Amino acid sequence: MPNSLAIEVSDLHRSFGDTKAVQGVSFEAEQGEIFSLLGPNGAGKTTTISMLSCLLRPDEGDAYIMGHSIKDDQMGVKSVLGVVPQEIALYEDLTARENLTFWGKMYGLRGADLKKRVDEVLDIIGLSDRAKERVSKYSGGMKRRVNIGVALLHKPKVIYMDEPTVGIDPQSRRNILDSVVALKDQGMTVLYTTHYMEEAQELSKHIAIMDHGKMIASGTHNELVKLVGQQTRINLTLDVSANLVQDAWESVDGVSQVIAENGTITVLVKDSNESLPLLFESASRHSARITSIDIMEPNLETVFLHLTGRALRD
Amino acid sequence: MKILDIALKDMLRSFRSFFAVVFMFIVPLLVTGMFYFMFGNIADGGEFNLPRTKVIIANLDEGGPKFQVDTDNIPGGESADSMGDLIVSIMESEEMSALIAPTYAESAEIARKAVDSQDAQVAIIIPADFSDEFADIYGKAAIEFYQDPTLTLGPGIMRSIMNRFMDGMSGVKIALTLFLEDAPPEDAALVGQVVQQYLHLSLAQEDDIETELLDVRTPTNAQENKAEQSENLLLSIISPIMGGMMVFYAFFTGSSTAQSILKEEEEFTLQRIFTTPTSQTTILGGKLLAVFMTVSVQVTVLLIAARLLFNIEWGALPSVILAALGIIFSASSFGIFLNSFLKDSKQGGVLFGGLLTITGMIGMIGALAGDSPVARKLSNSVSLFVPQGWALRGLTQAMSGAEISALLITALVLLAWSTAFFAIGTWRFTKRFA
Repeated sequence: MPNSLAIEVSDLHRSFGDTKAVQGVSFEAEQGEIFSLLGPNGAGKTTTISMLSCLLRPDEGDAYIMGHSIKDDQMGVKSVLGVVPQEIALYEDLTARENLTFWGKMYGLRGADLKKRVDEVLDIIGLSDRAKERVSKYSGGMKRRVNIGVALLHKPKVIYMDEPTVGIDPQSRRNILDSVVALKDQGMTVLYTTHYMEEAQELSKHIAIMDHGKMIASGTHNELVKLVGQQTRINLTLDVSANLVQDAWESVDGVSQVIAENGTITVLVKDSNESLPLLFESASRHSARITSIDIMEPNLETVFLHLTGRALRD
Repeated sequence: MKILDIALKDMLRSFRSFFAVVFMFIVPLLVTGMFYFMFGNIADGGEFNLPRTKVIIANLDEGGPKFQVDTDNIPGGESADSMGDLIVSIMESEEMSALIAPTYAESAEIARKAVDSQDAQVAIIIPADFSDEFADIYGKAAIEFYQDPTLTLGPGIMRSIMNRFMDGMSGVKIALTLFLEDAPPEDAALVGQVVQQYLHLSLAQEDDIETELLDVRTPTNAQENKAEQSENLLLSIISPIMGGMMVFYAFFTGSSTAQSILKEEEEFTLQRIFTTPTSQTTILGGKLLAVFMTVSVQVTVLLIAARLLFNIEWGALPSVILAALGIIFSASSFGIFLNSFLKDSKQGGVLFGGLLTITGMIGMIGALAGDSPVARKLSNSVSLFVPQGWALRGLTQAMSGAEISALLITALVLLAWSTAFFAIGTWRFTKRFA
């Protein structure tokens, strides 16, 4: 394994009964980069993280974290790893300081080193002045910050962050995204899972898109966008059922794909300026009236839509 | 070290839980306390709280020439010129003041009316010839005792006092009889001196002459004996209850603390610990150690608190320690065993509401059913089908003063239960988190 790679995942498989949660996932992340795993709920991201955290043993395949095998050297993996789980995994009846102290001990810190590091982490997450309050009294955003702080205690070389911004307010979300970038700037490798396309796009150099347990695309943002060409995505709503126009719109010049979902029609076109008048004309012929239009330049959402036929948020 | 860190963290969480603390300490002591106060007034620190009996005395005794006693030797004071005065002075003594509240009537009729109108509970009517009859060898000295027929306790005490007095005077009467049988008639005038001599001789060594004469302390002695008996009765009631409560709630704590394994899994903190460089053995070991430590603290606190609050005698220290260890190990391992079969903590309701309560009640049959032969039979048979029964048996043996050797069989049985529970429980948890 080359020294520049922090994470090297090779053909991971994991099933739960008849359900194949992860099927042949492979990717590599370089040291000091933020690598995003992007995919909707149920795509297999958390199962992949669980295997890379040594919580689940893969049925097949292996992965190396800073050179330590998740199969053969689990303690080695855990010693270089910090995990921020999707859930708030804290003791709510303990204070922030008590939580950090306990978790620090679990990472092998003791005595003065532990106290010093707890103080540092409280400072990093901005909770020094409220360290003596029980976590149960914190807001969701503050809990998220402590949740992240726990993973930083032993200064890990690699951090997994499993959808850390789920269910929090925009301000806390902004703080977390900033802190992820700060971790990268400190030389840590971050494996970041999310189903928010814009987070992956903002944070990561490399992105892997997962769906139904499989990795369907991987690369830089530009490389992924190129997969769908220069197509523009147009979201429209009609005053009638979308089925009335769907077939007609698929035959409009410049339209490559028409997807009707939840009352909204998504149309992928090469040039919106050319296609939109034709779409209006076609709608009029079918006695349908377009009530709203949202034009989006190619992005990861478009890529996912192109590759799966479904919107990423679903 | 990490194993202790995990255990201490779990203990801290347990003792911060209001719910847990209530069921660990407050409820067992509260239930026992209820019984203590329910039955405690019979002892109440060894003092009677009986109301003073209202006694009205009609002292009509006129004394007599045959009754010439040096008043210095008459118990009760200097004003006793007759046997009637002697009785009155006794009634007015300090020792009697806690028991009776005497008032006086000028005639027997007034005294009886006072009782009839319930102004007094007892009337003591001393006839005019009481001293004369007492001094006469053939005389019959009698006091009229008139009481409210609806009352028993107060008049009963008074009757006891008067009987005691009259018994004491009977000794004097016998002495007089013997003296006068052989004495010439003119010596009858010496009756007073004979009484004086009798009193002098019989009371010479007594500091508390009233006590000797009337045995005024009889009610007090009875009170002390009764208080002692009441205290013993109280302890015999609440000691097994406290023991039963301790066993029941120790098993409750064992199960609820062991449930933290399931709760931590649901809170995702257990999985997070598994992502740290900490072995599975250490993690599970810490969780299990927390159960033992928490139950240990609970049992120790309850033993000490019950001793201090209710004065419960737990027995010889080595026996108590062995019995306590039996409770701790069986309660902890039983909790681990039961929780290992649960899918999640929601099923804990079934555990606590059902299995734990039922087995706990079976184990406590002996403590709940009292001291009847049926209860003893049940506690020696049915209750021993569950670990709580054996745990309570050990504690009961220690309380009854059994030596440590007598507890060995119970301890060995509990050890066997505990080993089996612990082995199965840890095996299942290890398999679950493998």
